Amino acid sequence: MSAELALRGAALRAAGVTAGYGGDPVIHAVSVRADPREVVSIVGPNGSGKSTLLKSLVGVLRVSAGTVMIGDRDVTNLPPEEVARAGVGYVPQVDDVFAPLTVRENLEMGGYLLPRKEVAAHVEQVVTIFPRLGAMLGRHAGKLSGGERKMLAMGRVLMLAPAVFLLDEPTANLAPAIARSLLNEHVRRLAEGGATVLLVEQRAKAALAISDRAYVLGGGRLQLAGTPAELAASPEFVRSFLGGGRLV
Amino acid sequence: MYYVINLLVYGAVDAMACLGLSQQFGIAGVTNFGFIIFQAVGAYTAAILSMPPDTANGGFQSYLGGWSLPFPLPWIGAAAAGALLALPFTFLVGRRLRGDFAAVGLLVTAVLVNLLVTDYRPLLNGDAGLAIVPSPLQGEFSPTSTGYQWAYVAAAVALAGGVYWFVRRITESPYGRTLRAMRDNDRIADSIGKNLLSLRTGMLVAGGAIAGLSGGVLVGFINTWSPAAWTYAETIVLFAAVIIGGLGNHRGAVLGAVLVPLAFEEGSRFIPNSQNLPPNLIPSLQWVAIGLLIVAFLWLRPQGLLPERKRVIAVPARSAAEPPASRPAEPAVSRPIAAAAGHADVLQAVDVSRDFGGVHAVSGVSLAVRRGTLTGLIGPNGAGKSTLLALLAGTDRPSAGKILYQGQDISGMPAFRRARIGLIRTFQLASEFKRLTVLENLLTAAPGNRGDSFRGAVAGRRYWRGDESAAISRAEAVLGRFGLTDLANSYAGDLSGGQRRLVEIMRALMAEPAVLLLDEPMAGVHPELARRIGTALTGLCSEGMTILMVEHELAIMDEFCDPVVVMAEGSVLAQGTMAELRERAEVVEAYLVG
Amino acid sequence: MSIFLASVGFGLITSAVLAIAAIGFTLQFGVTDVLNLAFAAVMTAGAFVAYWLNQSGVSVWIGLVAAMAACSLLSVLLNLVVYTPFQRRGSSPITLVIVSLGMALIIEFGIEAQVGGIDVSYSLGQGRTFQAGGLVLTTVQLVIIGISVAVMAGVHVMLRYSRLGKAMRATAANRTLARNCGIRTSRVIALTWALTGALCGLAGTVFAIDIGSFGPTSSDLFLVLILAAVFLGGPGHAYGAMLGAAVIGIATEVSAAFITPDYKYVIAFVALLAMLAVRPTGLLGARA
Repeated sequence: MSAELALRGAALRAAGVTAGYGGDPVIHAVSVRADPREVVSIVGPNGSGKSTLLKSLVGVLRVSAGTVMIGDRDVTNLPPEEVARAGVGYVPQVDDVFAPLTVRENLEMGGYLLPRKEVAAHVEQVVTIFPRLGAMLGRHAGKLSGGERKMLAMGRVLMLAPAVFLLDEPTANLAPAIARSLLNEHVRRLAEGGATVLLVEQRAKAALAISDRAYVLGGGRLQLAGTPAELAASPEFVRSFLGGGRLV
Repeated sequence: MYYVINLLVYGAVDAMACLGLSQQFGIAGVTNFGFIIFQAVGAYTAAILSMPPDTANGGFQSYLGGWSLPFPLPWIGAAAAGALLALPFTFLVGRRLRGDFAAVGLLVTAVLVNLLVTDYRPLLNGDAGLAIVPSPLQGEFSPTSTGYQWAYVAAAVALAGGVYWFVRRITESPYGRTLRAMRDNDRIADSIGKNLLSLRTGMLVAGGAIAGLSGGVLVGFINTWSPAAWTYAETIVLFAAVIIGGLGNHRGAVLGAVLVPLAFEEGSRFIPNSQNLPPNLIPSLQWVAIGLLIVAFLWLRPQGLLPERKRVIAVPARSAAEPPASRPAEPAVSRPIAAAAGHADVLQAVDVSRDFGGVHAVSGVSLAVRRGTLTGLIGPNGAGKSTLLALLAGTDRPSAGKILYQGQDISGMPAFRRARIGLIRTFQLASEFKRLTVLENLLTAAPGNRGDSFRGAVAGRRYWRGDESAAISRAEAVLGRFGLTDLANSYAGDLSGGQRRLVEIMRALMAEPAVLLLDEPMAGVHPELARRIGTALTGLCSEGMTILMVEHELAIMDEFCDPVVVMAEGSVLAQGTMAELRERAEVVEAYLVG
Repeated sequence: MSIFLASVGFGLITSAVLAIAAIGFTLQFGVTDVLNLAFAAVMTAGAFVAYWLNQSGVSVWIGLVAAMAACSLLSVLLNLVVYTPFQRRGSSPITLVIVSLGMALIIEFGIEAQVGGIDVSYSLGQGRTFQAGGLVLTTVQLVIIGISVAVMAGVHVMLRYSRLGKAMRATAANRTLARNCGIRTSRVIALTWALTGALCGLAGTVFAIDIGSFGPTSSDLFLVLILAAVFLGGPGHAYGAMLGAAVIGIATEVSAAFITPDYKYVIAFVALLAMLAVRPTGLLGARA
């Protein structure tokens, strides 16, 4: 795969990002970074702001403070279509495919920014990586199973061979076996192929298993950061998931 | 002289029509683009009831009926016809159809009916319409005499006043509050048990009767009625009037009636008639002006000239600093739970499973909730917590297994019936009525209020005053328990996110649950407010209520819940206090693996 | 038999005009979620642009092109200046519908203020008459049918094969996801209104040609036929609109011939109300 879809990663730098849904901010002064050939995970308990962080990075939510850089390009608060053009491939947690369109058309939409002649070739490459999709090219995306939809969603972002992949809980609602396979075989390979991968996950252990570095988010703020080994050894790690103190 | 009389009668008729529309659209949110046909059916009914058979007068008109009925039967018939016409349209206003689609359906109907009447001459004399419609009592009095004309004005104005009295009576009752709640958010109104179809049908019928009456009054005055008088564009004029006057304010509706239909009708008389202008210029410009006013008002001042008033209910001043738990609150559980025959486990899931096409959301879960406990239900995403809650509450049915309530098998019982026997749940998503005050939000959920029906509203304040006072007291007690008395008369939409979550819990309490199922009540809530909620919930449990709470914020489990049940991947993993659970490896594993 | 064929002939014309309009209307709804009840008014504007040019000696067929351009511009402005601000503010769908009715009044009666209440018609030769069995059609009618077929084919090709067409379908299906793919949805939406506006102008002019004598309010009734066709096929689905137009167009004319001409529109209205009651997503739409 990596030989065919030449992936060239760019560095992602989010510094001091504060963002929310209009009222009070949900995340405060969060700084994360991810480099090419790295899988970086953001884990944390539910409601900690992980999805909000990703949405603010791709322009779906407004950033009220802080900056987001892709390479040396400032993409803070750019509209989502411009962030995509800057080389970011984003897979949302829900509503991740065009339900009324066929699988092939979904992939073609993923390749919207490509020159016309190259679209078919890229579809072929994606099908090589996800052979199941190849058998279903004519089927409407709304009729796919959960696992198949996720594959299609990932295939869609692969079409553009973006420099940075942002994945929002890619294993949500997937059976554990499929989840592990998705993470190990596909997500890890993206980084091995040269891209930058930033991953938000609820399945902390599974995510750490494929990550080079990880951040722990809690209550909208960065609680911990480090390599998987460092985090596993830290007692705070478990506590940040399972609480243990009184209400602040 | 005749000019003033004309003005007053038209004004009264327009006011009646606008009040009917204000009730339907402004208060209840029913967008009836076919409103004008209800006025038309009233006019035609009054006409054919009061006219002689169509063979009379040389038979130059052709129409149904013709029974020469005396006054006031034609006017009564007009109102009745308007009311009856509403019934066939109820299929358009049930809960399944998008509001704008339903409105389009009514618009199309208005055009169709106008077309049918125009084309089918034997029905109502087609395009030419009906002429020589008798005025009321024209046998006894001379309709052209000044005395008669002024009497007509008096009758019309009196009826308009009566309509005003009637719609206010309906609006300022608990039933009116329910209508406004439905207008605000019909999905939530539906979920708290309001019958949308019946409410909207009631509004169509009431508005139809008023519109019909207005038609009857008008036709008796102008003695003629034709399809040109009731094209669908006339409905737009009335909508413009109600929007400009003020949506949700009946005085605004009257103001709108004066400003729009009347002013346009009369104002054009004063514009000098010039030979150079194209003949249709003034009427055309009137329509352009109405279109402009509609768009301008909806953009600049959507609340209209006289906005809807906030309904403030006097609440005795309480010190906000008083710690809520220390006040002797009214027992929230007034529904007796038979202690003697009572099961200690008031709610049970017995080997319950729920499959969604191959995915086992819940598999083989057995859970027993003891009376008087505040039980926590935790687990990572996808563990099946929300599904289990839905099965216990009745919003979903198990694929296998049983749900027992007080020992009774309720597995097949739908949610609204479980609510009636005291098993009530809250929802995750925001579900308050933004344009009702906090107190009104709570009152919408008070069961057994006699004023919360059409008949009750019409019967008047004396009929429902007792139930309403009792509900207000209970609402105040609930507010006090959570320390939110200060917010009683604030619009729910103005509250912070956390406070709005509270409104939902309080509303659930108004329904007097014996067992309360809370779905993430603390989501997005400030820690201090969360503590206040937790304390209030603990207080409720000590008074006999049983609460099961799904939550992510584990610090809350530490402080308030015992026992805590952990789920993962569709099954129950363990049960105990939060501290105990933290020690168990499989719990830690479940949370980290996800 | 010949009555039947003759009525089918009428039905074909009605369907042809209806198809052009219904496709435009339904695409506007699909991509923007607005029921643009000012559509018929914009059609009328197009018809009158062609008329005014025709009065100065220009052929109606050239006037038709001018009408398409004018209505294209008018529609883009309508969406940009009126509908989008209301939507951005979070107005309810019913507010948008009332606003569109207000705009319809402004446009339609603005025209009437100019031309007065008398009906007008184009100077246009009807050409030869063709007969096939009982079917009788003039050259002009055949041209209209031809234009309609071309439009349907063109829309099909555009939606299925062109980049813009696919972007339109993606935007209608999931606007945020479309943006994540790099699609500039605001541009796609503007282009959609420009295109459907052109269809609107085209529909207005051929409608005026077909009915012969027309005035500023002639298209009011036609709006209801458009709504019937759109809801029958499913709001937002272009192919549904084509199907709906065919059914409504032919059904109204055949029922006029066989049941009674007085109520030929009844079928359309009954179909619309029945669809709303039973299956609001239309025949080709997804199950609700």
